[in-house]
Parts: sequence; C-alpha cells; structure tokens
Amino acid sequence: MSAHTVKRRKLSPSPDASTSHTKSSGDSTRTSSKAGSEKTAAARKNDSTKPQAGSRGKDERSAEIAMASGFYKSSFFKLQMDELLTGLRPNYDKRISKLQDTLCKLKNAIETLPENPAKSVAEAEKELRGISGVVVPWPEPRPAKDTKYTVSYAKPTNINVVGSFALRTGAKTSDIRSVDMAVTMPSSIFQEKDYVNYRYFHKRAYYVACLAAGIQDSMNELGLEVKFGLQDGDSLRPLILLESRPTSKDDQTPSRPQIRILTAIDSTLFPITRTLPMKSNVRQGSSADQSEIGEPTPFYNASLRSEATVSQYHKYLHLASQKCESFRDACILGRTWLQQRGFHTSFQNGGFGGFEWAALISLLFEGGGPTGQPILMRSYSSYQIFKATIQFLAGRDLTTPLLLFASDVPVPDGGPVLYDGRRGLNLLYKMTPWSYAALRHEATITLKMLNESREDNFDRVFIVKVDESALRFDRLISFPKSFSGDTLQALREQNSLYSVLSKALGDRVKLISFASESVGAWSTRSKGLTKKASHCLSVGLLLDADNVGRVVDHGPPAEEKEEAASFRAFWGEKAELRRFKDGSILESLVWSDQPSEESILHQILAYVLNQHFQVDEEDFLLTGDEYDDLLYDEGDGVVAYSNSPFQSINEAFKELERSVRDMEEVPLEIRHLAPASPLLRYTALRVQGPGGANEPADVVLQFESSPKWPDDFAAIQMTKAAFLIKIGDSLESSGAASGCRVGLENESSKVLNNAYLDIPHTSGFLFRLRIHHEREQTLLERQLKNKSINPREREELAFALFSYKKLFVQTSRLTQALRSLCTRFPLMSPTIRLVKYWFTSHLFSAQVSEELVELLTIRTFTQSYPWDCPSSIMTGFLRTLHFLSRWDWQQEPFIVDLGGDLSPEITETIRTRFTAWRNIDPAMNNVALFVASDLDTDGITWTQYEMPSKVVAGRMTMLAKAAVNLLRTQNQDLDVPDLFQTSLAPYDFVIHLSSKALGDRPAVSKYKNLAEMGTSRGSKMVMVKSFVHDVQACYSQSVLLFHGDERCGVVAGLWNPQMVKPRAWNLKTPYSTAPAPEASQEKQNQVKINHPAILNEISRLGEGLLDTIETK
Amino acid sequence: MKKVTVEVPGYTTLPLQLPSDRKPATHYLYLRPHEPRVPTPDTSRCLFLVNVPIDTTEAHIRHLFGTQLSAGRVERVSFEDVPVKKNTVATDSNLAHRNKKRKRITADDLQSQLEDIWLPSTWNRELQKSGSHAIVFFPDIPSMESSLKAASKAARKGTSIVWGEGLPSDRVPPLGLQRYIAHERLRYPDRATLLRTVNEFMTVFEGVSEARKREETKRLAEPDEDGFVTVMHGPKLNSVSREDEMKELVERQKQKAAGLEDFYRFQSREKRKERQNQLLRRFDEDKRKLRDMRDRRGKIRVSIFFFP
Repeated sequence: MSAHTVKRRKLSPSPDASTSHTKSSGDSTRTSSKAGSEKTAAARKNDSTKPQAGSRGKDERSAEIAMASGFYKSSFFKLQMDELLTGLRPNYDKRISKLQDTLCKLKNAIETLPENPAKSVAEAEKELRGISGVVVPWPEPRPAKDTKYTVSYAKPTNINVVGSFALRTGAKTSDIRSVDMAVTMPSSIFQEKDYVNYRYFHKRAYYVACLAAGIQDSMNELGLEVKFGLQDGDSLRPLILLESRPTSKDDQTPSRPQIRILTAIDSTLFPITRTLPMKSNVRQGSSADQSEIGEPTPFYNASLRSEATVSQYHKYLHLASQKCESFRDACILGRTWLQQRGFHTSFQNGGFGGFEWAALISLLFEGGGPTGQPILMRSYSSYQIFKATIQFLAGRDLTTPLLLFASDVPVPDGGPVLYDGRRGLNLLYKMTPWSYAALRHEATITLKMLNESREDNFDRVFIVKVDESALRFDRLISFPKSFSGDTLQALREQNSLYSVLSKALGDRVKLISFASESVGAWSTRSKGLTKKASHCLSVGLLLDADNVGRVVDHGPPAEEKEEAASFRAFWGEKAELRRFKDGSILESLVWSDQPSEESILHQILAYVLNQHFQVDEEDFLLTGDEYDDLLYDEGDGVVAYSNSPFQSINEAFKELERSVRDMEEVPLEIRHLAPASPLLRYTALRVQGPGGANEPADVVLQFESSPKWPDDFAAIQMTKAAFLIKIGDSLESSGAASGCRVGLENESSKVLNNAYLDIPHTSGFLFRLRIHHEREQTLLERQLKNKSINPREREELAFALFSYKKLFVQTSRLTQALRSLCTRFPLMSPTIRLVKYWFTSHLFSAQVSEELVELLTIRTFTQSYPWDCPSSIMTGFLRTLHFLSRWDWQQEPFIVDLGGDLSPEITETIRTRFTAWRNIDPAMNNVALFVASDLDTDGITWTQYEMPSKVVAGRMTMLAKAAVNLLRTQNQDLDVPDLFQTSLAPYDFVIHLSSKALGDRPAVSKYKNLAEMGTSRGSKMVMVKSFVHDVQACYSQSVLLFHGDERCGVVAGLWNPQMVKPRAWNLKTPYSTAPAPEASQEKQNQVKINHPAILNEISRLGEGLLDTIETK
Repeated sequence: MKKVTVEVPGYTTLPLQLPSDRKPATHYLYLRPHEPRVPTPDTSRCLFLVNVPIDTTEAHIRHLFGTQLSAGRVERVSFEDVPVKKNTVATDSNLAHRNKKRKRITADDLQSQLEDIWLPSTWNRELQKSGSHAIVFFPDIPSMESSLKAASKAARKGTSIVWGEGLPSDRVPPLGLQRYIAHERLRYPDRATLLRTVNEFMTVFEGVSEARKREETKRLAEPDEDGFVTVMHGPKLNSVSREDEMKELVERQKQKAAGLEDFYRFQSREKRKERQNQLLRRFDEDKRKLRDMRDRRGKIRVSIFFFP
C-alpha cells in the first residue's frame, strides 16, 4: 500500500491541473496525504460509508488519486458535481448590488415608523384599518373582543438581513428566491406571560400589520407590492412579503426576488423552560394564570421558540460557514436534493427545507453520533458532508429523540425529535410522522445510490425530479375533506386521519404520505386568512406488493377481550369472528377479490373512511387501480405471473421437455430444451389456457455436439429438417403430441434457419421447436472472414449470424433471466405486459420487438433509482414511460442488469461498443437504439436492422414525452385509457383491415388437425403480418408501415419524405414512378413517386384482408 | 385520363390502368430494346422493361404483348433479382451429362445438381420489388420490334390498357387473402414430400463429399513437377472441430499462465504504472465526456419538470 502511495506522488500533474482551480474540490482531496489515505482506507473497511478527515489538496489531480484508492464514487461524479455547484451558486455580489438599495430603503422606512401606543385590540384594529386599510392577519383563534391585554407598535431593536441570502447558502433553483429580513421586535411591547394562549402571536400579528401599513407607500414607490403570507405555512406566524409588481413587464423574467419580512424577539424574552416541547401553553378558559397542566402543545411552543432563535441560528450558521469551507456547497447540494424530492421548510411540504438542512449540518459538526461525537468534520468536502448527512438521516431513527446539549427533556411521541438544547428548539418540530417517514425513505434510497458502484447515479441523486406523485406512489387518494387553515387544527385532523389509515392498511402499505397545498400570499387589505387557507389533501401510498392483495386480515384472538374489543371498535360491523384451520378463533376481516369488485384497497378505504370520517365512496378518488383493470381487460383476464394460464403452459413445457428427453428414435443425446417465448417467460400480453388461441410458444432444442454433422450450411438445414420429422414422429408415437408438422421459414435462404416443428401438445398448447446447432456460428464466422465473398453474400451471412445469435442464444438467455426475475419481482410481468400494450396500441408492433419492450421495462425494476423498486403496475408502467421520455438514445446506450452481474467493467465494454457503433453508423441507418445487458453486451441483438429505425425511435420518444406530459398536466384527472389512444393523424395513409376477414374465419378443419384449431387468433394476425411483410419487402425504401395487434384493425403508413420530390428519371429508382407534371421547361424528364399506383397495388395485394385505404 | 406527353429519353412510356373497384390509378411502364453493356446473342430480341408492377408474372407479360397489344409472342421473361442460372439451360446440360457414362460424374456436376434440390417454396406467386425491371425474350427480332411499336402506338394514342384484364384467372394464383391462406398451407409441406426432398438432398450431398474426397486423394497421389508425392492426412470432413480444439488449447495455455503475472518485481511495477496511466486516461475521458455533455444539453441543470 505504501509503495503505491509513494509512486502515486511522483505522478506528473495533468496539464490543466495548474490552470484549473475549483473552489470546492471533492472529498478526493484528502487522499493527497499519505497518512490520511491509509487511515481512511482502514476506516473505510470498517464502515464503508463514513468518510474520514484528512488534509485538503488543491488540484484536480487528486480526483485521479481518489479513484486509484477507490474512495470516490467516481471522478466523473465529482466533475459533474463541481459543474452543478458552479451552476447553482448564486452570484451574491451581483444580487447584493442589485438589492442593496431596496433593502436600505426598506430598513429606513421601518426605522422611521412612528410608535403606536398601546391600545385595546378592537380599537387598534379599527384604527389601523381606518388609516391604511390594512387588515390585521390574526391567527386563529383571533383575540376575543373583551381581551384585556393591549397591542402596540414600537421601533424594532434590530433590523437585519438573515437566512440563505445573508449566509450565501442559497441555490439557484426554480423556487422564488427570497431574501429574508428579520425585524426584531422590542421586548417592551410584551409581557411576561405572553407565551400563553396566543397572546404573543396576537401582539405579533398587530406588529406585522403596523409594519405593513407603514411601509406600504414607500414600497409602492419602489414598485413592490406588500402582501401577507405565512411563514413556513404556519398560520400562527403571518409575515410580510414584498413582491415586484407583475404589471411592469408581462413576462417577469429575472424579476427581483421576493423579500420576506420576518419577525424575531430577543431569545431571553421568554425562558426556554416555558417552551419545552411538553409544556402546555394553550389552556382552556381565558385565565392564563391557571396551573400548567393540560395537553402539551409542542408545535405551538416550538413556533414561539423559533421566533426567539432567529438571530441565534443566524449567528450559528454563519459561524459554521466560516469554519467549514465547504459548508455552503453542502447546503446547495442539500437544498437541491430536498427540492427534487419535494421537501421544503413549510409544514405542508414536509417541514424540512434548506434552513433545517443547514442547521442540521451545523449541529452535526458538534454531535449526533451514537456516543455524542460529531458526525461531520469541518475538513470534509461538500460531497462528504452531503453523504454523511444523508447517512445520518437514513440511519438514525429520530423518533427515538436525539437531544443535543441537553438531557432529560421530555418530548412527545410520534414525530421525530432533534432537540437543540442550546437554543431550546426541536429542529424537526414541523415534521409529521409521515413526512419524516418519507424523508427517511428518500435518504435510504439516496444512500444506496451513493454506495452503488454499478452506476454513478449522479443524475438520479440531483437532477431528476423525484416528487411527481404518480411516479413516486403506487396509489393516490385525493381527499375532498378540506382541512382548516389553522395549522394546529389541521395538524390534529391529519394526525387522526393518518393514524386511522395506517391502522386500517397495516402492512399492506410501506408508506403513507400527505401533501397539501401551501398557502399563498394574500393582499394586506383582504381578510380571509382562514377561508383561503383551507386546502384539499392528497394522500400517496407506497404499497407492499406482497400484502396488498391479501383477502383475509387476522385480528386478535377472541380470548384477548380487550384487544378484540378495540379491534371491533375500529372496524365496526366489518369485523367477524372466524375459526381457522389451525383451530384458532380470531377476529378477522374478509375482503372480496372478485374481478368484478373494486380492489381490496379500495374496499378498505371506502369502509374505513365512511366509518371514521363519514366520507362517502363517491367522495374520494383512488388512482392507480385503473392500470390493473386495463391489464385485466386487455390481457385476457390475466394479471399476475402466477395466474393459471402462465402456470399451465409452463407445466406443459416441463412435460414436453420430459417427453423430448425420453425420445428413443432420435440418435443424438439431448443437451438442452430451452424455452424461448414470451409465453414461457410470463411476458406475453395475451395468454390463454389450454386449447386457447395462443401463439405458438417457441422452444429451442440443442443436441450434444457430434462430429457427424455436415459442415455445409444447406446440409445442416436439411439435417435439421430430417431431425424434426423424426422428433415429430417420436413425440406422436409416445403420445405426447398429435399432429406434429414441420413448417418452413426463410426457405429462399440457405444460411438462415429453414425448418421448425409445430408440436400440438396433448396439454392443449402449441409449441414450436427449432434446433440449435452451435457449429453454425463457427461456420458463419469463418465464412465471414473469407475475403473472397461478394458484398451481397457478406450481408446475408452477417444477417444469418445476427439471426442465429438472436434466435438461439439471446432469446433463450433472456427467457431464462426473465423467468427468475418475474418470480423475484412479482410486478414485473404485469408491468411488462402493460408496456407491451402501450407499444402495440401505438402501432409499434412491426418495428419494436417484444424483447426490446421487455428489456426497457426490466430496467425500471432492476435499476429503479431514484425510486424504490415499483410496487404497483402504475408506477412500473409510468416510470418506464418516464425513462423513455428522458432517454437520449442518440448519445446514450441503454444498459440493463438482468443477471445481477453488471459490473463497471461490463458497463465499460458496452459503452465502448456503443461508441464503435456510432462511429460505424453515425447516421443510425442500421442501429438507432442500442440496448445491452450483462447477458448481452453486443447491444444490437434486438435493435439492429432498423428495429426500430431512427424515425420510429423518435416517435417512440415523442409519444413517451407526450404521455408524461399528459400525466403532469392532468395529474389525477387523467383518464388512463387516453395514454393508450393513438392518433392516426401523423400518418400519410391508413389501411383499415377488414374485420370480417380477421374475425370470422372459422378454423379450417376442426377434427383433422389440432394445430389449426387453436390458431384462429394467431393465424389472422400471421396473415396480416405476412401482408405487411410483403408490402414492406416490395416498397422497402419508400413506405414505412405501422401496425398493432389484432385488436387494432389498422395498418398505418408513411411515405419516405425524401422520395416525394420529383427527380430525374433513373433506372435504379426504387419505387413506382409517374411522369411529373411539367412545371417548367428545364425540368423535363422528371418523374415522381406514383402514390395512387402504389396504393392500388397495396390494395390488390391485400384483397379481402382490408376494407379501405384512407389517405390524407 | 390526361394524355401523357412526358418521354424518358430512349424509352417508350406505356401507361397502364391498374384494375380496381376503388380508385383509378395509372401505372407507367418504360420500355426499350435491351442493350446491356455486354451483349449476348439473345439481347437483340429482348425488350427491357422498367418499373413493372409488383404483381407482375410471366403470364402478365405474355398477356400484355400477346393479347392486349396483340403484337408478339413472348418466349420467356427474366426478372430482376432472380438468378438466371436456375433456368432451363443449366438443367439441360446436367441431364445431358447424366446420360453419359456414370463414372464420369464430377463433384462439380453433383454440386450443381444439389443446388436444384431444395425445400419447396411457401409462396405460390413471387412479387416484384416496386420500380424493378424485367427482360422480355421474344422468339425473334421482328416480334420484339413489333411489340415495341405496338406499345409506343398505344402510348401515343392513349389506348386504355388495363393491367392483367382478361387474363384467365387460372393462369396466375390470386393475391390477397387467398395468397396468405395458401401461404399458411404451403408453409407446412406434407411429410412425405419433405422427407423425399431431404433424403434426395442428403444422398446427393454424400455423393458430392465422396467425389470430392476421391478427387482430392487422386490429386495428392499424383507426383508434382519434381516427381514428389506430398504425404498428407486425408481431407478433414470437419475442419471446424480442429478449430475448436485449437481454441481449447489456447484457453488451457492461458489458464496455466494465470497467477504468474506478479512473479517478478518489474511485472507488478509495470502493472501499477499501467493502472495509473489508465486512471489518468479515464480522468481525461471523463472530462471530455462532461464537456460533450455540456455541449449537447447545455449546463447541468436540475430538472424542474419531468423532462429537461
């Protein structure tokens, strides 16, 4: 180890090391110290994620060294992060110079405000409204008319800019960047006991109203509008917002940031002991002097305390940013991370935002470890701080309170507690049990992403917007019940809803999340704080896929009287006493799993909401079941991979395998009979039971190698045919199948596979067997090396090799992989099938192979970041579309982990191949999509030869984007079938298939031939496919056809736009031409493509198959 | 239909009405005497047709010239993309050979015989690619010339010729649904035919390899110019298996060498150096990648919406 380090230090610096100087160098830097690096390496072994301290270097070379010793995630990660930070760091000097003037004027305006002597509440309110029209933003409950205490305004003791603007910890993000100005109210206007019964908040509200009234005019001159808003969504604490008036310019591009005027009080005004979390400060009755017993009011207390800690925290954070160089960058990273996950400071948005993040980091410099030791070091880089903080959030369960600089502080149950004893505040007081669960959930996933070596995940940690509810949650409930604008009240109500839901759903869900709208700003002259502030609630559920479909819930045994009674109390009539097989008698709940009924989740919700909140079934909206229902309708009533058609066809396959192994008449030993069909890997969209109209299920037979095989392509094909006849005879004589037939394909070629055997198995399923002869590959490869063959032959050979690999190697590999993946992820099979339905609905069947769709979907499961693995069809499906909409396939290869063996080396190999392909074929005429896996590093197995072409790939991306856009704009109002509705408008002509020919063709010979019986569905589609294939072969360059499956009924076509223009006549013109109308004399001999003639030819070719051809 | 005035130099443009119960459509066929770069004795009695309809068959062409234009009798038609060799001449010579003494059959003869034994086609009618051409053989030059004349006359006069009209329906298999139903049937040749084809093929194939082997041994047994006879193994039937063997050997050698890379000090030193260079390279690559990314999408930006 030491030798390595010594060597490394001799490395010459990279040429640009001296010129580039980034302020934040990653955690790599520490490794420039030899001792440090060794120490870290040792520590790393013990605790792989906890970074260690070390000295900091300055040059970028360190990234290489970091890579060398394996500390860094990857140097590319660091480079991207630096870039991101540079992009997000606001230019504070510029912003300050822009705002300086306004802020100064504001300060002056406040300082020159006249005092307002103490008055009674009613009088003060009336007077204020009379003079300036400002309505005092009283919090609920507003002070009674007979309130004894008085309100007043006096000159603030201090006015200063605080928060991210002053600390320079903000990030350039999409949010309104606000500048916070804290106005410290003089202690003189408060009384000792003002901390009880909203007195402080009432006085504060008046003070704020006076401020607003006082600065109104001067701010109007500056073009700023004075409004009220809520601080952190907390209705106890209204504040003043100064927004630039939108009238000045219609599109307010880089408008001036919002200025918020916060209030603060001296930290010693109210003693900390009065605002401890478990103190009761809201008491019944008006007398404030009653003894201090009663319900604890943690939120109220903390809200009060946070007013007192404004400057304390400001100083504290400032100190931290002074002491730690990378503090600011760490704040930017944290803010970005939180924002992408929808966490903000306000209590409706999780109660954990930029301020909490910054304060948490500062606290973690001083403690937080299991034995009180600091979690962070000041020498950490921004990345290290970020990662360690994420690890802290993920690892330390704060529902077991963490008390810093304090001990023995009683805290309430349920919510998370991170109590800062010095300042007397539970930093997480705005977090609810559900938002905390969500935060930890996100932190855990992010930690996994950071620890993963397979991919760098940078995009997924910082760039991707994670909080789109339909992608994030498996089920969404929108709730009509409006919650009060009063924060305390809303909290209580939501808490009770949360506890009912979590009790009712139990282990069916992993996470329940509430989200509500934040309250916007309102005019100083209007009242309506409470009315406006009431808001709807949307609930997101993360399901536990294993439990969600459970039909019977077991409650407590009947003997346990107390628990049984509470069970009954909760469930009411739904609870019933049942005796189970093991003899136990339990309180239980039975739900219906009939397809005609609503989903079990829906039943539970409907019942519970009605029982406890009197919400009717019609009044709440559950989103997510539609996707299951759609699959049920379109997928022959099969949803899960464990449903019977899939199981029976797999059993039939096992039987077939046995019969094939037992064949006696066949002279070669069987090595392997491999399944190679979507039906046998649980991914066929449509599947029916025995005797149903399934497509033939492909299987591949491999013999033990034998030297007796000929070395000639044609002879191999003939030998295969001979074997197939033999196998067919043998299976028939053993009674495993009847009516086996050898079928022919590609008969015009001697290098492609020519024959297969259709086996109508006695189980009622039809199998299609092909023989895999591994020497074909060697022969093809050798022949391709032969320099004397002409280009045409070479092309044919290359195609033969491609088909060989696809047909015999990759299909069975994929099938094998999917069979195990589908059992590991039960939702993979239904998701793939729904995605297939999407592709066929949009007429991609001819251009996008089923295998490609499967691979695209698998990724959603095996590389699910930035989310957890999907636990519903909805998330699986939508995330796949979301991925498709973002995939820049021209520049990026698609890499999926099938066998769990995807290592960085393999990824590297795949990328190299991708680059090579793009170099060979930069116009993407052959390969548009590059789709590789750990089992198939070639990446072109399913996509070469324009499967799909770049035009079609572009359309795929476009449609995915449109779908995601629809989802974003319509949200829960989205009608799911809309996603599957394709528009025929973009096509030049549409061929309507004859429903008669497709639908009513009776099975030809019912008794004579079993094989024909089951293929009515297959055969009609086979005919359409043959027809499309014919057309495509005749007009390969001029026409592009699109079709779906048999339910679509149309084939849509596009003319090649490059061939529409008239051009000079040429012998090699690859399409039917007509003389162009002579526009000008010079352009004689021009011909143009003869569209009517081609359409006529097509319609004659499809005589009886098609009804009409509709042209644009 | 408007009269067509456009001429492609050297070609006669013959408009054909395509049969349809729906929309009328005109197809344009271009004709000229066949003038290939390398003329053969036959070329002078051939017409060269460009842009034949996709459903053209020999019967169509015969019908067009024979009946519809009432000009010349067509001897045969050769389409683009169909190998010429398969035609009568080749088989004739084969037959001629076979009638001679049996032992004179060479491997090459057998080989060409082998090429004629193949699996039956699954289509009852071939289609032509759009815009492709065909060569029409007439029995003699006059009938070719009269055909061309008739065609240009029809074109000039604007005579309406409906493609394939009046062609007896038993002369060509129908298109459309019937074609595909037939295809479904033809895909499964009956067992006996298939077996016979396979057996015949394999017999001839055996014959070919036997003959080749014999010829090879014979060739080897003959002394060369200097009077030497090269001693060799007999020709391998399976040279591929030898390739596999070689591969295996190489593989085994590699395995043996495994684990010996760190034996000498210089080896590990070189390896380390190599790794460092690689890291440096990768770092530069990463930087390049980032630059590329920036050029492509602009700066790294946090996505506000679903897609950037």
